[in-house]
Amino acid sequence: MPEKKDLQKDNEDIRIGVYTCYCGGNISDIVDCEKVRELTETLPNVVVSRTDMSMCSDAGQAMIEEDIRKHGVNRVVIGACAPSLHEQTFRGAVARAGLNPFLYYHVGIREQDSWVHHGNHEAATEKAIVLMNSGLAKARLLKPLKPIKLTAQKHALVIGGGVAGLRSAWDIANQDIKVTLVEKSPFLGGRMAQLETVFPTNKPARDSLHELIEKVIDHPSITIHTQAEVKSMSGYIGDFNIKIEQISRGVSSELADQEAVIDSCPVEVSDEFNYGLKTRKAIYQAYPGNFPSTLAIDWENCTLCGKCEKVNSSGIDLKKKSEIIDVNVGAVVVATGFKPYEPRQGEYGYGDFKEVITLPQMIRLLALNGKDKALMFKGRTVRNIGLIHCVGSRHVPGIHEPQEDGKVNDYCSRVCCTATLHMTNDIRQHYPDVNMYDVYEDIRTYGRNHEEYYKQASENLVRFVRFQAAEGPQVFASENGNDQPLVIKTKDYLTAGLDIEIPVDLVVLSVGFMPNPIEELTKILKINPGNDRFLQEVHPKLRPVETAVSGIILAGTAQGPMNIQESVTAASAAASKVSVLLGQGQVELEPFVADVDHDKCNGSGECVQVCPYEDAISLEEVTINGKVCKRAVVIPANCVGCGSCVSACPNRAIDIQGWTLGQYESMVDAIAEGMLALEVSA
Amino acid sequence: MATNKIKVDALVVGGGISGMQTALDLADQGYQVALVEKEASIGGKMIALSKVFPTLDCCSCITTPKMSAVAHQENITLLTYCEVDHIKQNGKGFIVGATNKPRYVDMDLCTGCRQCEYVCPVDLKNPFDNNLGAIRAIRVPFSTAVPQKVVLDIDNCILCGKCQTACAVDAIDFTQQPEEIMIETDSILLATGFEVTPKDAKKEYGNGKLLNVIDGLDMERLLAPTGPYGHVLRPSDGKEPDSIAYVQCAGSRDETLGVEYCSRVCCMYAIKQAMLLSGALPLADITIYYMDIRAFGKGYEQFYQNAKAMGIQFIKGKVAKIKEDENQNPVFRVEMVDEGGSVVEHTHDLAVLSVGMLPSFDPTPIFNVPNDTDGFIMTPDQNFSASLTMIPGIFAAGAATGPMDIVDSIMTAGSAASAASAYIKSQQNGKEESSSKIADLQKESQHA
Amino acid sequence: MSDKQTKKEKMQILKELREQYADSVAKTQAHLKEQQSARRLLKKAMKTGPMTVPEIAEAVNLPSDEVLWHIVAMKKYDLVTEVGQDGEYYKYALPVKEKKS
Repeated sequence: MPEKKDLQKDNEDIRIGVYTCYCGGNISDIVDCEKVRELTETLPNVVVSRTDMSMCSDAGQAMIEEDIRKHGVNRVVIGACAPSLHEQTFRGAVARAGLNPFLYYHVGIREQDSWVHHGNHEAATEKAIVLMNSGLAKARLLKPLKPIKLTAQKHALVIGGGVAGLRSAWDIANQDIKVTLVEKSPFLGGRMAQLETVFPTNKPARDSLHELIEKVIDHPSITIHTQAEVKSMSGYIGDFNIKIEQISRGVSSELADQEAVIDSCPVEVSDEFNYGLKTRKAIYQAYPGNFPSTLAIDWENCTLCGKCEKVNSSGIDLKKKSEIIDVNVGAVVVATGFKPYEPRQGEYGYGDFKEVITLPQMIRLLALNGKDKALMFKGRTVRNIGLIHCVGSRHVPGIHEPQEDGKVNDYCSRVCCTATLHMTNDIRQHYPDVNMYDVYEDIRTYGRNHEEYYKQASENLVRFVRFQAAEGPQVFASENGNDQPLVIKTKDYLTAGLDIEIPVDLVVLSVGFMPNPIEELTKILKINPGNDRFLQEVHPKLRPVETAVSGIILAGTAQGPMNIQESVTAASAAASKVSVLLGQGQVELEPFVADVDHDKCNGSGECVQVCPYEDAISLEEVTINGKVCKRAVVIPANCVGCGSCVSACPNRAIDIQGWTLGQYESMVDAIAEGMLALEVSA
Repeated sequence: MATNKIKVDALVVGGGISGMQTALDLADQGYQVALVEKEASIGGKMIALSKVFPTLDCCSCITTPKMSAVAHQENITLLTYCEVDHIKQNGKGFIVGATNKPRYVDMDLCTGCRQCEYVCPVDLKNPFDNNLGAIRAIRVPFSTAVPQKVVLDIDNCILCGKCQTACAVDAIDFTQQPEEIMIETDSILLATGFEVTPKDAKKEYGNGKLLNVIDGLDMERLLAPTGPYGHVLRPSDGKEPDSIAYVQCAGSRDETLGVEYCSRVCCMYAIKQAMLLSGALPLADITIYYMDIRAFGKGYEQFYQNAKAMGIQFIKGKVAKIKEDENQNPVFRVEMVDEGGSVVEHTHDLAVLSVGMLPSFDPTPIFNVPNDTDGFIMTPDQNFSASLTMIPGIFAAGAATGPMDIVDSIMTAGSAASAASAYIKSQQNGKEESSSKIADLQKESQHA
Repeated sequence: MSDKQTKKEKMQILKELREQYADSVAKTQAHLKEQQSARRLLKKAMKTGPMTVPEIAEAVNLPSDEVLWHIVAMKKYDLVTEVGQDGEYYKYALPVKEKKS
């Protein structure tokens, strides 16, 4: 290979500083960092080789800066954690010292080595040496690069019209950034609208929610689309092109004869707002006072019979229309929320016995029942309620069955304990004669003022029964002659594991959180869920609201179970991040994009054919040595550096800057040489 | 006395993780920020920790880059070893008077080489190591301190002048006086953090007198790679413990201490330490006595289940009393809840109290910001604007508003930055929305 | 601080400060005296070879927790080194050659 000769191994101008990080023991407990330092020190072009307890600390960074300034180090190789954590940190240090930040290469010897080779110190050290050696090989071939600077759209898209999405939109708009908010359903407010009061303030949920919705609606910088979904996305941070499909509402504005119109509809479907405790029509509102106040047609269930149009011909249009709206935004906030866990048929008797319901259903039941009469369920007075915690949460493989997707719900849903106890206090207040049995594993009333609900529940004579995961409660039909239709059987570890039986009228399952089904959206946005299916942040402490795709930000329960306070806080934090990204009107992209050598390119166009992105590479007429010919030209802003064109080019005329074929080859060679050297020495 | 004046959009009080994140989130949006920290280095409680749950990242891998970012962010004026004395409403903003305490070291000259520290004859208990290790009267506070400059503890100094002789750049200056700073700002963000339950809070657990009854923060230092002993050893005699036991809720959910709330972090730090201990001391038995395990955060429950699978013993029991035997081993008297309340005695080598979080700084005298009944800063709109205090223009973030872990603190920092920036914008544009909202809330809470 | 103090001025400043901080200086001096006498005992005992904390404590008749503290203080500033383990205890020794720091 011709480049091989050019390898600047003997080039004295290349002065490499090598830095091996202990990572506070994360690396040095497994890898002998001092040995890595000793060996790399002797390699060609290496001027200094150093170790530090934490290279990313200010002192560690200062050491690197000093080597650049004083020892003329002009290539930096750092062996540390994954580049996703601290590549930016070290680029900053290198740049402060006056060196081009892309003359630094980061070798991951934690995630790729020490964390995966526990207990094999020698092999892990050898691997670290080999990896560092390959990093050095690349470093010798690094060239200065300039980041791509682009104008950012001061406009954000918020997906989801629940409390997190609304709050994000409001906060972003207050930073002089335009917002487009899309909500899939016809109404704003999300899950919060289905609550009655919220802990820990005990304020009416919808009052606070409506206040926020009104502010969002009135904000001049926010545009809202209900019954709208994101259909495609292209572009990059600062400049995403998004297509939104907007379905027509079917109802033009608030109707004077709303009641009559609803009554005219012959279709009855399960009312999702009341979690199926009631039915609603196919032309409907979610609840009285909802936003927007206009009725909507449920296109999925409407039979287009036209009866409603007969009542009101001017305000209703039963022709379903869909419109594509293009928006050009700099960032996207994903606030798609959660759905309550739906227990399996037979799980604690759910589906088998009509008297087994979920916590969200119970909250709606209490709201529908009204407060000044006995608590009724399906025509029977409820006197004894059994509450079972951790339904669909804290599942243990081997004890609990996996879900349909094969995964076990092994996470804690965080909210259900306080929500359950908050509700028991409500029940006690309005139905003083009801007996409540709370069957739990651990009570997790962790939040500010949450412990108060636990205390109140005890004072309210809620009887607590503690089970262990392996011996969870079971729900059976009562034997004939019993007053209560159901009985909960469990071992109680508050009474030394006694077997107890609790006869009840109603079983309430404190169901956990599941993310809303958004597979299609995650594919469009190219973001990933974690093991628990909720959307995954880059790092819970370093980049808690960012996804792996820059410019795509998470807010609220799409990321994991949260209560109202936490969702709102997360939404505001997401807004801060959007403001950081877009506020300055400019974004910087990494320059790792395709670069064409026009001397080698012969205009075959194969690169253009394989390129999966729009407008990233094309054949253009260029003048070379006075001759006009066709050559491949890259538009850096549209190129993601995937390398498809590199592999397709018959002339090796294309390289990804910062990741050239020559660099790859040198790295592979260095690994092979390193392995060979180790074999010989063994 | 020379008075320096600076003008900023936001003043952040407290340089722990919440304060640093708040300052960064504002500065990265282009706002001018002053960050005031009373200690000689930023980093707060977090920088003293070992590894953090649930990722088990080494703590300095998360904290030190943020410390460095604060130091290098050009929109942030960093004022360490500095305390706010008084504030005055200034139209829509505030004028804040702060004092830079004398370090007796010229910050421009000091290179942090620590020559002075090596010649200093006075060894003191090291507060950074929770007094388990030692440090000199003149020192760099800890190895990753920002700024990396020495500070002299004048109250524990014999004024021998050896440091002055040793300093190659003549940076030691015994004439330094407190320096007043006037900060004109549109907004103030309190990120004043927390303290932990004092070890002598509970008579039942030895009143802080038993050497081998330590607290969670002590254990963090023992586990940290920069820790005082270099290993996990017990303080009475340097023995490597074979049997370590944790007492959960030692200072939380305890009406006798007036602390009825859950401190949120103790279950998780105990589990994390137990995991780290089983790595450091593979043969040791580790027991956690608890009432409820509250592993509620993202990935926490899975972390707890992993700990159980690793063989860490979780016993539902109330530790009624700890005394010590003739070898200074802690002897636990435990009411075994899972076994019907039978009382047993267990002897361990080392006891760790999973102490809770208490308010540290009372903002009322200086900032006129009232506290709630739990002693933490009152945040009247807990659900919708958890960072608002009762004073318009003053916001709060992190554990100053109640116990919370690092992940939640960072979230509240982002949210406080968002609230503060909206306030700054509205003040600078002449809108009054936030203030009227506070006025409503204030009225409401007066009626309540 | 534009004008550097002369050596004489520095001495004078320290002298004045010692008067101003008389109480804390006296307290610290007492602490230092105790520290130095303990250190002398420790160093003498440790001349016999590597020892554990309880062994040193017995030899110098000081509580073992205090001995541990002195050992970690000395270790931090390179005045003692850790040399292996004896069962549940680590052993400490004086550096082979007293390094001048």
